[in-house]
Formats: sequence, C-alpha cells, structure tokens
Amino acid sequence: MTGVGVVSSIGLGRAAFFRALEQGVSGISPVASFDASPLGRQVAGEVKEFEPRDHTTHGEQQRMGRCAAMALAAARMAVADAEIKAQALAGPRTAVVIGTTMGEARILAEMEYEWIVHGPQAVTRALIPKYGSTLLPIHVARAVGAQGMVLALPAACAAGNYAISFAADLIRSGRADVVVSGAAEILQELQFSGFVRLAAMAPERCQPFDLNRQGLLLGEGSGMLILESEEHAMRRGARLQAEVREYGLSCDAYHITRPHPDAAGSITAMRGAIERSGLTPADVDFVNAHGTGTRANDLAEAKVMRDVFGDRRVPISSMKSMLGHCMGAASALEAIGCIFTLETGLYPPTIGYDTPDPDCDVDVVANAARRGKSDVVLNNSLAFGGYNAVTLFAKAGALPPPAPRTRPATRPPATGSAA
Amino acid sequence: MTPYAVTGLGVASALGIGREVFLQAVRDGLRACDGADDAQGPRLFDPSAVLSTPTSVRVAEVRGFDATKYLGDKGLRSLDRLTKLLVVAARLALHDARLKHDGAWATTASGSPAGPGPAQTGMVVSNAYGSLEAITELDRVAVLEDARYINPSRFPLTVSNSAAGYVSIWEDLRALNVSVSDGNCGALDAVAAADVMLSNGRADALLVGGGEAMSEALFLAFHRLGAAAFAAKGAEGPCIGEGAALLVLEEAASAANRGASSLAEVVGYGTAFRAPERDATLVNPSAEAMERAIESALADAGVAASAVDLVVSGVAGLRHFDEAELRALARVFGEDVAVVAPKLGLGETLGAGGAMGMAAAIAYLGRAADRAPAYLVRGSLRTPTQTVRTALVTSLGYYGNASALVMRAAAS
Repeated sequence: MTGVGVVSSIGLGRAAFFRALEQGVSGISPVASFDASPLGRQVAGEVKEFEPRDHTTHGEQQRMGRCAAMALAAARMAVADAEIKAQALAGPRTAVVIGTTMGEARILAEMEYEWIVHGPQAVTRALIPKYGSTLLPIHVARAVGAQGMVLALPAACAAGNYAISFAADLIRSGRADVVVSGAAEILQELQFSGFVRLAAMAPERCQPFDLNRQGLLLGEGSGMLILESEEHAMRRGARLQAEVREYGLSCDAYHITRPHPDAAGSITAMRGAIERSGLTPADVDFVNAHGTGTRANDLAEAKVMRDVFGDRRVPISSMKSMLGHCMGAASALEAIGCIFTLETGLYPPTIGYDTPDPDCDVDVVANAARRGKSDVVLNNSLAFGGYNAVTLFAKAGALPPPAPRTRPATRPPATGSAA
Repeated sequence: MTPYAVTGLGVASALGIGREVFLQAVRDGLRACDGADDAQGPRLFDPSAVLSTPTSVRVAEVRGFDATKYLGDKGLRSLDRLTKLLVVAARLALHDARLKHDGAWATTASGSPAGPGPAQTGMVVSNAYGSLEAITELDRVAVLEDARYINPSRFPLTVSNSAAGYVSIWEDLRALNVSVSDGNCGALDAVAAADVMLSNGRADALLVGGGEAMSEALFLAFHRLGAAAFAAKGAEGPCIGEGAALLVLEEAASAANRGASSLAEVVGYGTAFRAPERDATLVNPSAEAMERAIESALADAGVAASAVDLVVSGVAGLRHFDEAELRALARVFGEDVAVVAPKLGLGETLGAGGAMGMAAAIAYLGRAADRAPAYLVRGSLRTPTQTVRTALVTSLGYYGNASALVMRAAAS
C-alpha cells in the first residue's frame, strides 16, 4: 500500500483526515442536499466541502455524477500521495477495483422523478449512460491511464474491504502490478428514507457500543488506496505505507439485513484473516470496528471479539461515530483509518461514548485517541446480505514474508453439511 | 489459469428454464425476441402501456416465470424478480452439479458429505442494474405520496447485492458471496474473481454467472437511448433480455476426486480497458480493448488462436458494438472463424450476458455438427461436421472495456 486518498465529512486528503481522526472530530451535520425534515431525522455525515470542480476537469464533470467525482478525487489524491509517475501507472498491468452500494443513486433518482412526474419522454437521454456502478472504475481508469481490469464490486457495507482485498489478490495472483482500489458512496434521499423506515436511524448521534445508542447515522465519501506488488513498489523506490496482508470472507446465509446473532460467519472471517496471515490472535493490536451503532451489530461484534481473542481485551473503535455509516465507502475509509493507526501508533476514538453497555464487554477507545502498539490491525465489516469481510493490515516491514501458499493436495473433509 | 470443471449449470432464461431445455433451445436456434405470442404465458408488462409512442426495442422475457414451481410458495412475497430468477438458477445448478440432492447437501451412503458443503461453497454473481423494479416502486411512493410511506420490507431490495444475499440465504452458501458489476462484461469478470477465490483456497465450489431482470425502467432506458438508431442495418432492432445463468466451477482435480461429471472446462480469461480518444465520449465500443482481452485470454489458456473452433460472441444487434467486436475477432482470427451470437435468441441480458454466453458455449462444445451452428453471424466451422473442442466467449462493454473467456469441451 503506497498511497491513500480521502473524501470525507471530516476532511479531504490524508493530512486533514488523519488530523481529524486524531482529534475525534465529528462530521455529522444537518443534511443540506435534500429536505430530510419530513422524515423526522435531519443529520448525516454529509461531505460539505467537496466541490467536484476542485478535483475534476470540465469534461469529467460533464460525463460523471457526484459519486464518481468523489471516487476520482480520492483516486487522484492517492496517486499523488503514492508519488507514482503517470507512466508507471498507465497500461494493461494496472487495474481499478471499486466498491459501492448504490453508485450514482442521484442520477437514477433524477431520471425516475422525470419519468414518474412528467412521463416517459421526459427522461433526459444524456443521463441514462451516466448511471451504473460499473462507471466508477471506468472513470478512474480513464483518468489514471489504467488499461487492465476495471471492476465494480457492489458488496454493500463491506464493499471497501472487498475491493481492497480483491485488489491484493489480483496482484498476488499475477494479474496486475498496480491496483487503484477503494470505494465511494453518496447520500441520497431514498436510501435515507429507507433507513428511517427500517427504524435504524438515530436522531442526533451514532454511539457504537454505548448502552444508550439509538442507531446509525448515514454518511458519504470515498477512500482510495494504491496497492502495488512489492517488486513494483521497490523498483520505483516507493515508500511502503502498509502491507495489505490477508483477508477473510464469509456469508451468514441468515438474514438480509441483520447479522447472525451467533456471529459464526463473522468469526470465521476474522479467524480466516488472522490465520491466513500466518499469525495468531495474540499478534493483533487493534480492531477497527464495523460499529454501526445498532444493538444487533454491537452485540454480534462483541461476540466476535470474545470468541476470537478470549480474555485478551483488544482495543476496538468505530469511526462511524465520527463519519456516520458511509455504506459502500465505509470500510474503505476505515481501511485508511487502519493506515492511520499503523503510521501514527494512535487508535482513532469512538466519540459520543458515554455509558458502557454491560452486554458489550469490549475495550472501546472512548472519546480520545489512544496510543498503543500498532503493528497489526484488523478492519472488520459485516454487511447487508450477510456479507462478512475482515482485512488484516500490517506495518510495512513488521512481519516476515508470508509462507508461500500452496493448496492442500487433498481437501480437509467438508463440515457443517447438516446445518 | 488452473482449468476449472463446469460441474453444473442452472438457467432461467427466455429460452427456457433448466439445463437441457436451454441447451436444446440454443442448438435449435430458437428466438425469444421475435413474437409476443401470448401462448408462452403472460407478459411482465405491456410496452405500449409504458410508452405512448411506438418503439423498435424488443423484449425477451422469461415468459410465465413461476418461481413457486422451484421454490415452493413460502417467503416469496418479499422477493423481486431478479432474486427469484437467481435463486431458481442457483438451486438448479447446485442440483445439476450433485452438490445438492432433493434440496439437501449431498451425502455419501455412510452419511458423510459427498462434496463441498455450505461452508466451502459460495457464489460470484454479476448484475448490472440491480432491482430497478423495487427502486421504481419505492420512488413512486416517495415522489407521489410521501417518503415516510415507503415499504420497509421492500427497501432492502434496492441495495445492489440484495439478490445475491438472498441466494445465499435460500441455498445456504456460506464460504463467500461476491457481487460484480461490470455491465455486460460482468459475468465473464465473475469468472476471473472466482479464479482468484478458488485458487487461493477461499472456497471449493462456486456458483459463477449473472442475473438481470426485466423492468419497465430498463425497457424505457433502452427506448429513450434511441437504441433503434444504433441497430444493425437490416436487423429488426435491438432486443433486451433478462434471466439468470449460474455455472458451478470447481478445480478440475477436485471435481474428479468427488466423481463429478463435467459439462465443459473453463481454461483462460482476459480483460482490457481502452479510454476513448475524445474527452466528451462516454459510450465507447473499443475494438482494441476487445482484441487485447482475447489475446490475453488465449495466452492465459495457453491456446493458439488457430485452435479456437467457435466464437460465442456478444453480438446483440447494436451496430457500433457489433462492428467493433467483429473487427477485433477478424484481427485475431481472420474472417473465416465461425462466430455465433446467442443474444439474437436471448436478447441482451446485460449482467447475465456473459453467463448466457458460457451456458450457450456448453451447447456447442463437444458435439459434432450436423448443420451450421445456430445463431451463426459470420464464417463457418472448418468442416461442416467438425466437433467444437475449443470455444471463445466474448463480451464488449459499453464504456471501453471488454472481456473474453476460453472454454474447452470436457475430456470424454
């Protein structure tokens, strides 16, 4: 991992974002992009200081929506942060993999409005080809000169982890040398309404692991990372910021919106990330939580921590207390929070943490950043659809190279078929 | 890539539901786009009720699709069409691969698992536009009434990976679930993602493919784009389709270990992206990307261009795209290679397109021809009765991307 780019409600770019994480700044404010007042909920982690024209050309603005503009802005910052030259980035060995949940949701909403109110012939023709999640990586690939795989991974709230982890696998399997990867998501009215109707949205604050939590808040933004094969990074003399070591995936196959109460899938994913890294739970210094601020999430995540780490109270913290839930972009921004921890030795705080929940016996980094050992951190995500993804990041050079992975000649016996 | 065995196929398509019905329809060259024959079952919607003006956009629906025949009638009410199509395809594919039997994971006579179980089985599924059906339904309520009235039980359907999430619940797939969105290249890209997952031991068997559902919004989008203006000369105009196709992929050696029979093998993948020359261009049929994707798929498979017997193309009746794809094929193979276009029968199924292409390839592979291949648009087989051993499946994206896949007949 050689570069990061950030568009968030607590700052644009690495420096501003890291500063805000250290200070525990809240990005929550009244929603300005649409009138949320009839819904009885009015705040979100809206990115107010982002202006597409500051980060994109006129031509780009003409052909893309706000979600792609955020993705592109973050990608450009990541490229600049990686100090990678255009010619080292251009070509068929560079891929772009971007996660999202709804992509250009506002473009779709605009077309639907035209159709519903004014009839089928009123739909603006030029908007139609601007909709589709596939466009996010396409726009970024155009801008950076990538000519390899362009892929969108709509993996809901785990999309960032999926994209970053898949990007690492693409490099490991020799299909790319460089991958621009991350995720982007924008706030949009229908989504906002839906979360209100699911009775999942808090009125003012998102308070993960707090006894008096009232639910989640939504947010938006984009986080992008430049991943390179070690050889490619060394050859160009890049500064290695972190190692994307391994990841674990699983699927609950239980409920479309709720995590499984026994958290078995989530536990499998976290153990998978640790074991595949050639490590044990004792090696993990910090967990960047999914931490949405709903009771179901907090209980599931606390159970995962107990199961994986036993009596050892590994510090955990939720950046959603500051950013709200940025859906597809959440775990990409949290991945950059992991980089923050590896680089600064600081765990970002969970702000608004007032009253410990006795049912969530975890070591929450409460209200102020905390200094601690920071060689190995986990980024946890539990998404809509029962998707679980956990990515393990390590300080560059902190771990010996992983043992070459060879598949067992005969598979271990299948288990769990009775369930 | 490591060769993968296709050990099962599940299809819910406009040409029929189930492996054999589908394969026979492809071999016979049936066309679902042609008529609005009401004997095939009720239509999802009446195009003339969506538009007040005539259109040349045709629709290939999964006519009379009744998910209860496959899934029972419990719990279907909250699901949308995309989810139902995908769950049916998944269930059929798992049974076809003998991973499941009578709805349960297969066991040996002694009761031990006969193959990969739920913890080792997952899916990688492509979809381009999600559930436009559900989004439109909720938007209508929000726009015309009040956003506070939207139905919370329908809201989850608006999330892009909702259908894939439901498939994992219905079919108990726990290893992993990856959703891919790359327009009509997505289903071939899903194979690349599956390769990464299988070769790294993240799952032992994966359902791989795609799904797309017809909706008024999709139909309207194609109509408003003036798709007719792009239509190939003399052709009837483009046809948009729907359906779901999922293939079960396992490493050939593990499939053989559990005694699974193989419908075909997937042996190579390639993809490429090419930015357009002009800043203002967005929609971009790139012959160069297609050519590079094909070259890279052939290299990945270790197959020479001369060894490809048949190309299962993405040609779908959109002139600029068809021309770009055929130009790329001519550059790699010359003008004579046999090129078929099953989308002439199935319609452009977008996120499911490449999966329908792979499924159609199975219809041609390993069979001695007794007539010209169905949906032939250019060239011919080397001899009229040649057996197709190696096929190339291609997809050309709308924005400058392209993907290709090499498939081989199962070793007999």
